[in-house]
Amino acid sequence: MSGIALLRRGRLWRLLRDQGSSLIGGLIVAIVLLTALLAPWIAPRDPVEIDIVNALLPPDAEFPLGTDQGGRDVLSRIIWGTRVSLTVSLLAVVIGVTLGTLLGLFAAYHRGSWIEQVLMRLMDMIASIPLLIWAIALVGIIGVQPVTLGPLTFDNEHKLLVLIGLLYVPSLTRVTHAVAQAEMSADYVRARQVEGASPIAIVLGDVLPNCLSPIMVQATLLIAAGIVVEASVSFIGLGVQPPRPSWGSMLADARNYVFSPEWWLPVFPGIAISLTVIGFNLLGDGLRDVLDPRRVTRGLA
Amino acid sequence: MLRLLLDRLVFSVLTLLAVGLCLFVLTRSIAGTPARIVLGNEATADQIAAFDAEHGLDQPVFTQYLRWVGSIAGHLDFGRSLLTGKPVTETLAESMPITLQIVGFAFLFAVAVALPLGIVSACYPGSLADHVTRIVSVLGVSMPGFWLGLMLIRFPAVEFGWFPPGGYVPVSEGWGPHLQSLVLPSFTLGIYYIAILSRMTRSGLLEVRGLDYIRTARAMGIGRGRMLVYALKNALVPVVSVAAMAFGYMFGWALIVEYLFNLPGMSNGLLTAITSRDYTLVQAIVLVFTMLFILSNLVADLINAMLNPRLGVAR
Repeated sequence: MSGIALLRRGRLWRLLRDQGSSLIGGLIVAIVLLTALLAPWIAPRDPVEIDIVNALLPPDAEFPLGTDQGGRDVLSRIIWGTRVSLTVSLLAVVIGVTLGTLLGLFAAYHRGSWIEQVLMRLMDMIASIPLLIWAIALVGIIGVQPVTLGPLTFDNEHKLLVLIGLLYVPSLTRVTHAVAQAEMSADYVRARQVEGASPIAIVLGDVLPNCLSPIMVQATLLIAAGIVVEASVSFIGLGVQPPRPSWGSMLADARNYVFSPEWWLPVFPGIAISLTVIGFNLLGDGLRDVLDPRRVTRGLA
Repeated sequence: MLRLLLDRLVFSVLTLLAVGLCLFVLTRSIAGTPARIVLGNEATADQIAAFDAEHGLDQPVFTQYLRWVGSIAGHLDFGRSLLTGKPVTETLAESMPITLQIVGFAFLFAVAVALPLGIVSACYPGSLADHVTRIVSVLGVSMPGFWLGLMLIRFPAVEFGWFPPGGYVPVSEGWGPHLQSLVLPSFTLGIYYIAILSRMTRSGLLEVRGLDYIRTARAMGIGRGRMLVYALKNALVPVVSVAAMAFGYMFGWALIVEYLFNLPGMSNGLLTAITSRDYTLVQAIVLVFTMLFILSNLVADLINAMLNPRLGVAR
């Protein structure tokens, strides 16, 4: 059916009216993901190489968003920064979702027993750790230099993403536990038990698919939170290390230029962060309206 | 009610002890020997042993932890900075009032703006005010506070000179300049919570509006003003508990705001302690932040139980 026909029948209009903001959110998220994937091909210039002749040029045709103190193209740095920012926030959420879902299902499976009590209380304990302060203090103590473990080298942002991911675990465990607990007493679970299915098969094969919606909603909202946390920690110099481009560290550089006329330095990276976070937040809110009418999930990271 | 209170209180203390132990062990195991940091790389083994004995660092970690907890619980003694020898409590007493002030102002500001915004947009859904509130809440949640602060420093402060671009002016230099130096930090810190709280107020009121008791009240012909008061009583239950939790979160973001505006608060103390590798100070400050955070969560729980007695029984 063509768009015009849809429009005439009012369906497209209704979709846009009810879900317009989540469509915008989805569009922004899609653009940001593509930017991160295609960074090497769409960035017009090298994001790291210093070119002092072109330092601090205002936006023009050659440098659409201007250049920074090292003569590097702000646009290219923002494009590459998308990669760093999404790597940290997505991988942190992957860690949080994996552990949180498993623990939540485990607790729900043992509902009513002491295992559930202890596990959920433990989650309450971890949840009372202030994320930002601990992330900053621990990264600060470990030091920002890369850590080598065997053949692998971990940059500072990897430490950060593991920390953020671990501190996400309680909120995802709670969400999974809340839904899975209700599912566990459903008839289909008893039917599977009578069939002789193993607990793991029931929990992962039957219960988990029914819990995915609120987990997805929560994960989307946590991605948004992770982007802000990464940018903030990089801003105070304990996140992504220079010369690697990240939005937070670009703003940290820009902080040195608040008294001079280079307005483009603080403006554009901030717009990039805000747009990305708006995208994930709108998408998450939209998903929640559609997938989680009971509102198990909650904002405020 | 009393049982719930005791339960939460005991749990909070346990949490603090457990989290404190994690913090203590983590800092000790990652940081390496404090003696090396203080005495430098040339120090001999004897000097290091003497230093460790003097500061009790030769004891097992758990003994050290118990001693640390004991002196904090007993007489609020967080120990001394290993680098400067200055009592940590003194450092805290200097910096904490500033942090509390910023967080306090930001909190009051957020509540004072968020409630009217939420109420107006719930009373007139679909109106211009409602749309403005929605846009403010999406932007407020998504814009990183420190970027907003940077823009505020760049434009109103530097360009137009309306506010000082940073730094702290103590009360002794007059109330006017003192408050002026706190306006931008409090605004920067508060805007996120305006977004969250106004949205919760709105959705809370809209939910309550459909309930039977409001319909009955309307049928009885009760005036709009009084009805709003009735509705708010129930609608604000979730808002109040989220506000109390938000108070705890604000201390975390205050860290970034203090750094941005060059304020000599606790968070700035933490960053200085990290760069100078003064781990006793780091431990103490992180512990105090965690305490404040747990305390505000406890208050949130209790307020929730008080306003919503059914929850307390269900637990």
